Amino acid sequence: MPQSQMQNILSASRTQTGFSNTAGKRKRAIKNFLEAMLYLSPALILFIAFVFIPLIRSFQISAYITDPIGRLAKFVGLLNYQRLFETPNFINSLKKSFIFVLYNVPTTIAISLGLALLGDLRLKGIPFFRMVFSVAIAISGATASLMFKYIYHPTVGINYLLSLVGIPNIPWLVSSNTALISVALTSVWLQIGMNTVIILAAMQTIPEELYESAMIDGANAWNKFVHITLPMLSSTFFFLLVVNTLASFQTFTPIHIMTSGGPLESTNLLVYSIYREFYFNGKFGFAAAQSIMLFFIMLILTIFQFVFLERKVHYE
Amino acid sequence: MNKRVLFFLGVLIIFTMILSACQPAAETPAVEEPAAEVELPPAEPAETVKIDFWHSMGGDLGGVAIPQMADDFNASQSQCFVEPIYQGSYDDALNKLRASLQSQDVPAVMQLYDIGTRLMVDLGMTTPVQEFIDKDNYDVSDLEPNVLAYYTVDGIQASMPFNTSTPMLYYNKDMFRAAGLDPEQPPRTFEEIWEAARVLNQVDASGNVVVSGISMSIYGWFFEQYLAVSGGYYANNANGRDALATEATFNSPEGVAILEWWKGMWDEGLMGNYGRVNADVRTAFYAEQTAMFVDSTAVLRGAMDTVDGKFEIGTAYLPRPNEAAFDTSGTIIGGGSLWIINASLPEEQACAWEFIKYQASPEQQAYWHTMSGYFPIRDTAYEVPLAIEWRDQYPQFKTAVDQLHLAPNNRVTQGGLIGVFPTARQTIEGAIEEVLAGVATPQEALDKAAQIVTDAIEEYNISMGLVD
Repeated sequence: MPQSQMQNILSASRTQTGFSNTAGKRKRAIKNFLEAMLYLSPALILFIAFVFIPLIRSFQISAYITDPIGRLAKFVGLLNYQRLFETPNFINSLKKSFIFVLYNVPTTIAISLGLALLGDLRLKGIPFFRMVFSVAIAISGATASLMFKYIYHPTVGINYLLSLVGIPNIPWLVSSNTALISVALTSVWLQIGMNTVIILAAMQTIPEELYESAMIDGANAWNKFVHITLPMLSSTFFFLLVVNTLASFQTFTPIHIMTSGGPLESTNLLVYSIYREFYFNGKFGFAAAQSIMLFFIMLILTIFQFVFLERKVHYE
Repeated sequence: MNKRVLFFLGVLIIFTMILSACQPAAETPAVEEPAAEVELPPAEPAETVKIDFWHSMGGDLGGVAIPQMADDFNASQSQCFVEPIYQGSYDDALNKLRASLQSQDVPAVMQLYDIGTRLMVDLGMTTPVQEFIDKDNYDVSDLEPNVLAYYTVDGIQASMPFNTSTPMLYYNKDMFRAAGLDPEQPPRTFEEIWEAARVLNQVDASGNVVVSGISMSIYGWFFEQYLAVSGGYYANNANGRDALATEATFNSPEGVAILEWWKGMWDEGLMGNYGRVNADVRTAFYAEQTAMFVDSTAVLRGAMDTVDGKFEIGTAYLPRPNEAAFDTSGTIIGGGSLWIINASLPEEQACAWEFIKYQASPEQQAYWHTMSGYFPIRDTAYEVPLAIEWRDQYPQFKTAVDQLHLAPNNRVTQGGLIGVFPTARQTIEGAIEEVLAGVATPQEALDKAAQIVTDAIEEYNISMGLVD
């Protein structure tokens, strides 16, 4: 991205300096370029130090096996990538990550839309409810995960309440059938707040005239919702879709706190699996290969979303 | 315009993601550092050598007992000043040590779990306490030989035992009485446990289990211990103690028998499902939802204090596959030991040794023992009045001491010595889950796990330059 910005700046300075090719003008162009670089440098330095260098380093490590403290021990070429597809773990993590995104993203956006519609009602005291709907923003992922861990506790949480009315225990986090859904619920709960705020904010920018003219045409509430609200929110939904997909794919905290990837690898999402291989198993090369794969998957997914979905989005 | 902003935002998010994927450290939440905040001790006197002591004891042990021991040490002399720092679980602490080695910002003394022993020795970043024992002519004859043996690698005392424990059976005596079992004759073998669990299991009218006969968390340590009391080796070359281990051997008939027993009770609905979390099993026991459970001797005091007389707790030996096994083998000493990190200055290492000697004294060991339920690492600690008083108060602990002294000191009870033990333990936990879920038979699951661990051992041995 900075490169294309640079090109913009370069071409901009070129247009300013006109068509002449004389030495003086070129010198000025270089000067302009250097000046632009100077303004960009804080961002560029951070970008290079924290994004590009680690990325290149990841590529490098992924071609080695390392000792347990991460020193490169032996060059193995693409062996780590080959192993990814030989061991069932990576494929399993990939599958679980996609399922997790499917559980997570539509649910989050749907619930948030519902809450935002409620929050958009013109009622007395609505600011209070808006605050209630968005309160999860203020709670850190770690705190929420610990909270839900107790809610899901086999003895003292919901199960205790269920036992009072004679319903058998639900193995929330200890059965491979339910664990991923339980974690997804936590994750949805965590994301609803932010999503509600964004949708609500977008709703309030929809011009009132649209609704007024629809009313004159005799539209009922449902028609207004389907033909005005939803289309006007499409760019917001698209934004949330992209952001939530990326966030869900990266989910780490609830897994680390609630399940450690188990039982039976059912919650071993990709980022957690990378963490596990990297820190716990000391297989730095294997972990780096996984994160490179994750990088490409996310890249493809995002490009896909932009190419196929953005066409349908209405921008103001 | 809007479109471009959005695209830029998207790209920015991707890069943020890559960044976090490459550097998981940034995402590691700080939640595993709970209440165990250590209060800053009063300012140290001038010209003392200040050293950091990393430990992994949460709760009261880390919040009260360890700071107390450090304070006592600091007050006992003026050359050294120890500051204990809680570093989260053993795994977290080991990760932090790995990371800090590059910056040389290391502690002088560090507590680490038993299964990190081979890794610590191979990494060559510690000074074996043997050097100080020799230099100081420190008398080790009073120390528990079984405990010392665990941390002896190639004949050299690599680290100093600190907190040691073994697993044992805890049971609810009131439930034993109610079910017509003799609370003074607890079950001893796999078969007897199974029978007792059948009697103790309670099911309500609609078929839901109200009280499980026995519960065990899916914890690799338990498997290691059952394997040891069955006389099985975890790795080849006599547990990697005669020579470098190159292969995992826990998929032996002994290992399979353990999982068959476990699975059998599971399928009969005699065991509660608490996943991998030990604490949740304890909670179930406190809430009288399970009649028996297996856990470390170190949780005895916590259990006694929590139950507080609501029902009577009994303790018994870890179950053996048969009566004969009581004579031939025993439990492995689990827990942790103290390591001197050689990247610290010589005077800091000297202080670390002073602190290690101090904590090993009978009085300190008696204090530590009574605060926790960990064994004292020396016999004379049992004769300290504090310890005698404690034993009168908690007679259940006698089981633990007897079990320790019952175990012969041999290659089986010294435990496996492999560099990838944390991975191995976790792999076995996965295998147990597979067996309980019916995805694989005990033999299949253990064969697969052994293959994974053998591969990991091979890679470890290559990467550490231990083999060509």
